Amino acid sequence: MRVLLKSVEVIDPRYSFHRKKRNILIKNGTISSISTQDVTSDKIIEGKGLLVSIGWFDMRASFCDPGFEQKEDIVSGSRAAHTGGFTEVALLPNTNPVIQTKNEISYIIANNSHSLVQLHPMACATVGTEGEAITEMIDLHQAGAVAFTDGEKPIWHTDVLLKSLMYLQKFDGLLINRAEDQFLTTFGTMNEGVTSTQLGMKGMPNLSEELMIERDIRLLQYAGGKIHFSNISTENSVELIRQAKKKGLSITCDVAAHQLAFDDTALVDFDTNFKVNPPLRSKKDVKALINGLKDGTIDVIVSSHSPQDEESKKVEFDLAEFGVTGLQTLYPVLNSLEDKLDLNLLIEKITISPRTILHLPIPEIKVGSPANLTVFDPEQEWVLDDHSNQSKSRNSPFYNKTLSGKAVAVFNNGKWEFNL
Amino acid sequence: MQSLSSKNLLGIKELHRKDLELIFETADSFKEVINRPIKKVPSLRDITIANVFFENSTRTRLSFELAEKRLSADVINFSSSSSSVKKGETLLDTVNNILAMKVDMVVIRHPSPGAPHFLAKHVNANIVNAGDGTHEHPTQALLDSYSIREKHGALEGIKVAIIGDILHSRVALSNIFALQKLGSQVMVCGPNTLLPKYIRELGVQVELDIRKALEWCDVANVLRIQLERQKIKYFPSIREYTLYYGINKKLLDSLNKEITIMHPGPINRGVELSSDVADSEHAIIMDQVENGVAIRMAVLYLLAGDPQA
Repeated sequence: MRVLLKSVEVIDPRYSFHRKKRNILIKNGTISSISTQDVTSDKIIEGKGLLVSIGWFDMRASFCDPGFEQKEDIVSGSRAAHTGGFTEVALLPNTNPVIQTKNEISYIIANNSHSLVQLHPMACATVGTEGEAITEMIDLHQAGAVAFTDGEKPIWHTDVLLKSLMYLQKFDGLLINRAEDQFLTTFGTMNEGVTSTQLGMKGMPNLSEELMIERDIRLLQYAGGKIHFSNISTENSVELIRQAKKKGLSITCDVAAHQLAFDDTALVDFDTNFKVNPPLRSKKDVKALINGLKDGTIDVIVSSHSPQDEESKKVEFDLAEFGVTGLQTLYPVLNSLEDKLDLNLLIEKITISPRTILHLPIPEIKVGSPANLTVFDPEQEWVLDDHSNQSKSRNSPFYNKTLSGKAVAVFNNGKWEFNL
Repeated sequence: MQSLSSKNLLGIKELHRKDLELIFETADSFKEVINRPIKKVPSLRDITIANVFFENSTRTRLSFELAEKRLSADVINFSSSSSSVKKGETLLDTVNNILAMKVDMVVIRHPSPGAPHFLAKHVNANIVNAGDGTHEHPTQALLDSYSIREKHGALEGIKVAIIGDILHSRVALSNIFALQKLGSQVMVCGPNTLLPKYIRELGVQVELDIRKALEWCDVANVLRIQLERQKIKYFPSIREYTLYYGINKKLLDSLNKEITIMHPGPINRGVELSSDVADSEHAIIMDQVENGVAIRMAVLYLLAGDPQA
């Protein structure tokens, strides 16, 4: 099978044809020619303004499988991923059972060799994500864990975080923490600010995130190793990480796409599809996050895809679960930021950066390389609704909204999908 | 007939000044009605109202029920001290079950902020918020403002200090919104741990010293110290609270001025208010209770009369 991407603009600064239009022929999953000439093929993908990059990588998603298959499973999650333009996804370990032995790792990666979307399991940093004792990290790494994290839960125990940083150095392993001092966020449901005051809701102060980031930076200075902060959300968090990077510490971080699209004023109607943790912050924080992306302080943009069934969301606000789906709506969010941030930069945050941080191979766009590509259309308008939604869950703040920008084709692992 | 700008009463924040004034004018006539020998009017005949209370309440529920009955509405009551979730049925299912029995209006009290807003989005009946967690208690704020208006003639320029646990108080928040819309100045006073960090940004003054707050205000609205809603320790002891934030006659006598004392009830006598203050001629606590019925009659009457309903 020969598929031709006809006259698509390549987004990849590594190549001389960056931002130029090329005809890319993919033959049985391998890039067989890149040229400006017409070539024959069995199938042509073309369209005004189509762009192509290496396949997108989501560094933080939950597929809820095993354990919560009513919300999502590997099949539906993978479908949501490829429809959103992702060819590889790193999964959080907060399943039931949690991902903490090689058995669970093998379950996640079982179909990787013949799936369009490759899944990269992150294993628990502590047994049962309880924060008390570290997992068998070396063995889990051997089995295929790409990083260690308690996922949704912060690693609160100072000494456990320290020991993890030290232990992981044997194989240059990555520790991922979502910073939140939970004493300061007890009973919190949204950002602490004017809006929470008006709504009478207990706020989660910026301080809760920043304190733990400061602590972890100090521990990293002491222990060595490397740490990635996932889902940072505040202005000061960006600044703390900026300064630590300047000092040469091995720190990286990511931000969730929804944090760039909304602020806490979105909660005035008590819509549970805006209830996330970390919470949507103030406009000032959103601006700082965008600046952090621009100057390289923030390395990666993630979907933080967190499916929740109706029973978990269609309830009173304080009883609702945290989280939103995000795989299909990440690109429209990036597309909406294009007046503030360069497209090359945005694409780097979902392609090269996450793979570099996780020590995973970076796909290439050259003749003879396996095709791991995403073709996307920044102009296409579409609506996330029951027809287009591929997740089992519908907890998106974008549900039934018109979005601009869509992935149109993905290639990976000898497989491809078109007209997503 | 004039009507409110909304088919529901979810909070004061969503209302306009003219809504508040309309409610007060309507309450004036109902107050006259409930002081007649025959206290009942047929205004809401054929309207069925459900009082759905997921939190303990005596006076608010009684006040609503009395208001409904004096308007000749048919009334049903549902109360459950535990939340609906613990019962295994969702709030939405509970309310839909009640509505399936052809109920027109739902008066709801619920421990979750935004629960009435959630219902308003998903069901068709008129929703009246009778207190949602730490968010709003609109009818309490209406009757409080109405009582100040009655005592002082107007609200414009009146200085009101709200004293106590502001952080957990739906009464405080609704009062702030109502008083500001009506042109009063508002101060909050209490231990700093019981004041929301961003409360100043709502345009209120903040005072940690009760004497200074009392020296400033014309009206002191003293809140009940809600130990039951505090899952986290915010102050060391009731004893210390009473010593430094309690209002007693000696303190009031030392001020060289007269202050109107209000309290939404139930009073912790000897804690936030001493008995000689609560029972004094400056306290309008019983007027608040009486006005509560008139205000709730006005709200229900105006919502039921809304042509959109």
